[in-house]
Amino acid sequence: MRSLLAIEWLKVKRYSTFWILILFYVVLLPLWNYGINSGVMRMGTKDINILNSAYTFNNVWENIGWWAGIFVVFISILTIIISTNEYQFRTNRQNVIDGWSRLEFYHAKWLMVLALAILTTIYVFIVGICFGFANGGEFPGNISKLFYIFVLSFNYYSFSLLLSIFFKRSGITIGMLFLYCMIIESMLKSLINWKISDNVGNYLPLQCSDELLPFTLIDMVKQMMKLSTAPPAWSYVLASFAWITLYYFIGRRKLMRSDW
Amino acid sequence: MRSVLSIHNISKSYGPVQALKGVSFDVPEGSVFGILGPNGSGKTTLLGTVLDVLKADAGTYSWLGGMQVDKARAQIGSLLETPNFYHYLSAMDNLEIAAAIKQRGKEDRLRVLKIVNLLERKDSKFQTYSLGMKQRLAIGAALLGGPKVLVFDEPTNGLDPAGIAEIRDLIRLLNQEGITIIMASHLLDEVEKVCTHVAILKKGDLLLSGAVDDVLVSEDQIELKANDMNLLQHTLQNMPGIRKTNINNGYLQLSCEGNIQTAQVNEYCIQNGIILSHLLLKKKSLETKFMELTNEQSN
Repeated sequence: MRSLLAIEWLKVKRYSTFWILILFYVVLLPLWNYGINSGVMRMGTKDINILNSAYTFNNVWENIGWWAGIFVVFISILTIIISTNEYQFRTNRQNVIDGWSRLEFYHAKWLMVLALAILTTIYVFIVGICFGFANGGEFPGNISKLFYIFVLSFNYYSFSLLLSIFFKRSGITIGMLFLYCMIIESMLKSLINWKISDNVGNYLPLQCSDELLPFTLIDMVKQMMKLSTAPPAWSYVLASFAWITLYYFIGRRKLMRSDW
Repeated sequence: MRSVLSIHNISKSYGPVQALKGVSFDVPEGSVFGILGPNGSGKTTLLGTVLDVLKADAGTYSWLGGMQVDKARAQIGSLLETPNFYHYLSAMDNLEIAAAIKQRGKEDRLRVLKIVNLLERKDSKFQTYSLGMKQRLAIGAALLGGPKVLVFDEPTNGLDPAGIAEIRDLIRLLNQEGITIIMASHLLDEVEKVCTHVAILKKGDLLLSGAVDDVLVSEDQIELKANDMNLLQHTLQNMPGIRKTNINNGYLQLSCEGNIQTAQVNEYCIQNGIILSHLLLKKKSLETKFMELTNEQSN
C-alpha cells in the first residue's frame, strides 16, 4: 500500500500544476477568512457584516469549515488533472504494462484521494487553530466539525476521480464537475424536495456532504426561527460514505472491464 | 524448447470490426519473434491483450510457463504503440517511476540511458524530446532491470536510418544475451533481418507462424515457353521436384523445390521431345511473397 502512494508521489512531486493548485488552496483559505475577520470583505451596511461571524473557538470550525468546503474545488480540479493526465499521456497503460495490476493502478489513485482529504483536514485544523487563538474562546470548541471537512473533501475528491475515469479528458471532466455540483444537483435537490418530500433531496451525492457544513448565518437563522427540521448529521455522514463506496465500485467495475 | 508466451484462440472485436479471430501460437524461449502484418492487421491489439491493457473477448494466454500475469509483466520490458511518459518529468524521473513499478532499483537508469544514447539529455523534460528520442527512451525503459523478455511494438517508428540500424544491432545483441524478443512490425525487411520466428497476421487472422526459414522461404520460379503449351504443362507436372505449374500470359510458370536448376528442366524437356523457346529463372523476393500472403485472403 505504501509503495502505491510513494509512486503517486513520484508522479506529482515535480509537477508545477500540482503545486500551484495546492498553493491556491493554502493561500486563499486563510487569506479569505482573514479578509472577513478583519472586515475588509463585507456584505451589508455600516457596522453590519453578514459574512462575519466570530472566529472564536465557539464558531471557528463552522466558519472556516464552510469556506474550506468551497475551496475544496481547487483540490477537486487537481484530482481531475492528475487522473486525466494518465489517460492523456497513456501512462495508465504504461503503469500496467510495467507490472501494476489494473486494481493497483486504481487503488493508487484512491490512496492519493484519501491522502489529499486527510491533508485538507489537517490544514483546516491548522488554520482554525490560528484564527481561534487570535480571537479567543475556549479551545477546542466544535472541533468535531473537522471530521465533516474530511468527509466533504473525501466525497468531492473521490467524485472527481470517478468523473475522470468516465470522461478521461481534463477539460470536459472539470466542466462536468461544475455543471453537476452547481446546476444539476441544485435543480435535482429542489425538485426532489418539492415533489417527493423535504430533505430527501439533501441526500444527493455531493449535497449530503454540503449539508454537514451549512453557511453559518443561514443555519443560525433557521435554528432561531425553529425552521430547522434537519435530519441528524450522522445520517449525512452515513450517506456520504455510502456514496463514496458506490463511486469506488462503479469506477472499479468500469476499469476492470474496459479497454485502456 | 520452452515457450515464454502461449497464445490460445484469442479473439477480440471493436464493435462490428473483428480485430483478432482466434489467434494461437507459441513464442519459443530465446527467439526473436516477429509479428508481421500490414497496418490494421491486429498486431498492436494482440500485444495489448497479452499485456492486459486490452480485454480479449475470448481466448487465453500465459507468460513464462503460467506465472501470475502481473508478476510476469514486471519481468517483461514492453513498448506498446507509443512511448508513454509523464510529459512534465525528465527522463530520469520517468524511469524512476517505471523502475519503482517494476520493483527494481533506480540505479539501473544510467545504464539504460547510455544504451539508448540519451545520457546527455537525461535531465530534460520528456515534452522537449524529438520523436526519435521519445522512442529511444521507451526502449530504454523496457530494458530497466534486465528483463527476460522484451515486447517491442514497431520499435523503429520515428527513428532515422542510423537509429534503425542501432536498434537492429541492439536487438541482435540482447538476443545473444539470451533475452527473448517479441516484435511487431509491418516492415518485412525488419523482420527478415533480425527475427528467427515469425507469425503473419492479416485482418485478424493468423495466416501462418513458425521459424523464419520455414515460413519465408524465398521460392524461385522458372518461366518457360514452347510451341505446345499444354503438352509442356502436362509433361512438367510429372517431373519430380516441381510443386506447381501455372500458365500465365502465355508463359508456363513453375514453382519448384529449392534444388531444381534450369539446366535440369531443359534436359527433362528435351528427353520428352519438347524444344523450349524460352527459359528464365525468376528470383522471387520476400516482399512479393509477403504481398501474396497478405493479399491471398482478400481475393
